[in-house]
Amino acid sequence: MKVMVLGGRGFVGRAVVKLLRERPDVQVVIASRHPGASESGAGGVSCVAVDARDEVSLCAALKGIDAVVNCVTGDGPSIAAGALSLVNAALKAGRPRLVHLSTMSVYGSQQGVLDERAELLDDIGWYGHAKIEAESHIRRYAQEGGLAVALRPGVIIGPGSEPWVRRIARWLQAHRLADLGAQGDGPANLVDVNDVAQAVVLALGMALPADGTMPVFNLAAPDSPRWNDYFCDLTLALGAGPLQRWGARRLKAEIYGRGVPLKVLERVAGKLKLDANQWPQGIPPSLAGLWAQQIQLDVRAATKDLGVQWTPYARTLAQSVQWLQAGSAAIAMA
Amino acid sequence: MIESVAGVAHGATLEADVCIVGTGAAGVSMALELMGKGHRVLLMEAGKDRDDPAVQAIYEGEVVDELMHSPTDKYRQRRFGGSTAIWGGRCMPFDPIDFEARDWIPNSGWPISYGDLAPYFAPANHYLEAGRCEYDADKAFSPPAPPMFAGFDSDQVRTNGLERFSCPTNMGARYKSRLAAARDVTVMMDAHCVGLKLHEDGQRLDTAEFATLDGKRFKVRAAAVVLATGGLETPRLLLASNDVQSNGIGNQHDVVGRYYMCHIAGNVGTLTVNGPVDRVRHGYEISPDGIYCRRRLHLSEQAQRELQVGNMVARLHFPKIIDPSHRNGVLSGLYLARHFISYEYGKRLRDGNKKGALLELQHMWNVVTHPFDATSFVTHWLRKRTLAERKFPSIILANKNNRFSLEVHAEQIPRSDSRVMLTDQRDVFGMPKMRVDWRYSKEDITTVERTLQAIDQALRRTGVGQFEFDRHTLEEDLLRFGAYGGHHVGTTRMGLDPKTSVVDGNGAVHGVPNLYVASSAVFPTSSQANPTLTIVAQALRQAHHIHGALTRDQQAQEVLA
Repeated sequence: MKVMVLGGRGFVGRAVVKLLRERPDVQVVIASRHPGASESGAGGVSCVAVDARDEVSLCAALKGIDAVVNCVTGDGPSIAAGALSLVNAALKAGRPRLVHLSTMSVYGSQQGVLDERAELLDDIGWYGHAKIEAESHIRRYAQEGGLAVALRPGVIIGPGSEPWVRRIARWLQAHRLADLGAQGDGPANLVDVNDVAQAVVLALGMALPADGTMPVFNLAAPDSPRWNDYFCDLTLALGAGPLQRWGARRLKAEIYGRGVPLKVLERVAGKLKLDANQWPQGIPPSLAGLWAQQIQLDVRAATKDLGVQWTPYARTLAQSVQWLQAGSAAIAMA
Repeated sequence: MIESVAGVAHGATLEADVCIVGTGAAGVSMALELMGKGHRVLLMEAGKDRDDPAVQAIYEGEVVDELMHSPTDKYRQRRFGGSTAIWGGRCMPFDPIDFEARDWIPNSGWPISYGDLAPYFAPANHYLEAGRCEYDADKAFSPPAPPMFAGFDSDQVRTNGLERFSCPTNMGARYKSRLAAARDVTVMMDAHCVGLKLHEDGQRLDTAEFATLDGKRFKVRAAAVVLATGGLETPRLLLASNDVQSNGIGNQHDVVGRYYMCHIAGNVGTLTVNGPVDRVRHGYEISPDGIYCRRRLHLSEQAQRELQVGNMVARLHFPKIIDPSHRNGVLSGLYLARHFISYEYGKRLRDGNKKGALLELQHMWNVVTHPFDATSFVTHWLRKRTLAERKFPSIILANKNNRFSLEVHAEQIPRSDSRVMLTDQRDVFGMPKMRVDWRYSKEDITTVERTLQAIDQALRRTGVGQFEFDRHTLEEDLLRFGAYGGHHVGTTRMGLDPKTSVVDGNGAVHGVPNLYVASSAVFPTSSQANPTLTIVAQALRQAHHIHGALTRDQQAQEVLA
């Protein structure tokens, strides 16, 4: 089977590629805007440069491909338009199976335990909006006779996660994040990046209905903690204590006194073509919303029907911390 | 979900799998623990989301000796979050010895062991936001915290036991959004439980009866009803529900309301440490998870057996506030401000024995002559307590002269004549009000005396210092303010024998298997520990038990169907 991983050089894409390479029956094609050479040729992996928004180049790349894993990220238009051109190209080019990486953000601000039948709610910003639109394109692909599966992971962590491991760790180490009480009581819905990759591989192999429906699976570790617990565990593992405790006012002060101004500076720097990558990041308001949101993904379908074997949260945490510390050790040596 | 009682019709009967009455430490933690387990839970609260004097007034009752016990509407709260709205946050588990039948403590012994409850202390810590369940000072800190006294080493007297402090967390405010989002839990406020209705055969609870202040009445029928209404209100409810069993529910043997305990507490004596002031560590440590922790002096279990005493702790404390000879501006400032401090926290500043303008003047002099004390204290207090979400737990003063008093918190012997009973007075719903007759024993004072002597001996033997106190005024020192407020223990005690207990080891009322009590009311003995952490641990254990019982029932019904 020949599998193309769109966005194969991203955080999730790399994990998917790594897992697929272990399969002797699978030939992997990494499709990316900037394909590197490192994996090219080795172990049945080839690379191809594709702009996911360019239907024509996609169509050409899809020749001979049996399945596509869509891990494309980026800004809203890349996500939504990328899915649209993928569907259009796939319909023209032999109708490969699509495994689409969606997100729990498609559930918007809804609270409670949500299974895959919950409605999609476009009320929490551009990311959820784009992902809902992307999912609707993929669903159309199924309706028009293609085979498609959508995966809705929660917050993907593990070694290599810049936003959810390194960024959070930096805030905690700088005492710019804390135990947030009720403001951090939301279930974190953490899922190990390797479990997401595992779900992708399982979705590539599962029997799919040819009735125009698109199976969907929530992905989150069943033992995933709440945000406050994650912050505390990370603090203790990094020896970054004592963990502070903030109330709602203190969190607001951090967001609007620091997070928002830093974001504005970053934008200005971008306009001036300055490199703002190493600048400190502040907490955006959207994150505060997520941390307080009482949303819990029901993952029984992924466990039972897809057969995902979940990595225990404690192991994911330990490996993430190991990655962080290896990174800082490397920096210290340099 | 949070639903308004306005939507319930007068005379209606609501159905649920579990009905929990009360939203304090026990009720909320039990509801949280039952979430997602497949049961419909109704969590009923009499009060509102805030303090309401008209609702709080329903807690009014009589006290036999007002010098010995606070009014019944103090130290407890009829509102969402219950008394966690005003608690101090001190957490530590009960000790293994507390569960044993000790032949030198009459009426001691629990039907469950420490091991039965032990697995629930860690989750209880978590719900109460007291951090990790680590109560050994030698393990809790990184880097290690200094000892209480440098050079102190004793098998009898331990100094590595910790108390850890909750924020203090108001369980209502903290978990409101989680409860609101849960589809299997319904919270209803403004619903006062005014009675419990047994089946005619008296073997099962039929319904719990509720009323609102605007005159509505309705019932709840549930497979399990849990009274999480605290150590005073629980016996009142059981005793007042006397239409089927004339003595009240669970009271065939006249045990409900008896064996009422608080704690024996007070500041005693003078502890002097030899050597430099940095030999003593008397304040708070902060654990890596951000929790204020503090060491205490505590007799080992072996020493308690040898000395035939109850369980007790002592903390290093500043000199008596009311005595201006301490020459401390902060303490004098507190004394002068005592009328601005809430009843619960100011009670021990309002000494009945000493009054007068001269005393006030002496305290004012202390404030004026030590301005730096007061300003740095106020700054710290504002930053770390008033404005902080995790509050600095108590006043700690700089150690200037290595002299302290000991703040004692001791177990009392359970006795059947210390009790809560009903009066002829009625509340707004027509329910009889309560009368509290709290009593203590000479042996309770002996526990303190012998323990303090052991502490003194250990200090002298190790050359650390000494502790001096007046045996003749000890009882007066400990009872000056009566029973320690807010710790209402023992009124529906658990046990194996219905003749001497009200509930079984799972908290189910003897003979009424679907009626439970989740409260310090079920503790047969009172320990050295403040009750809240063990209340929550006990409630979590009960949640586990109720979940198992309901699941077995449901499975049995499915088999029959």
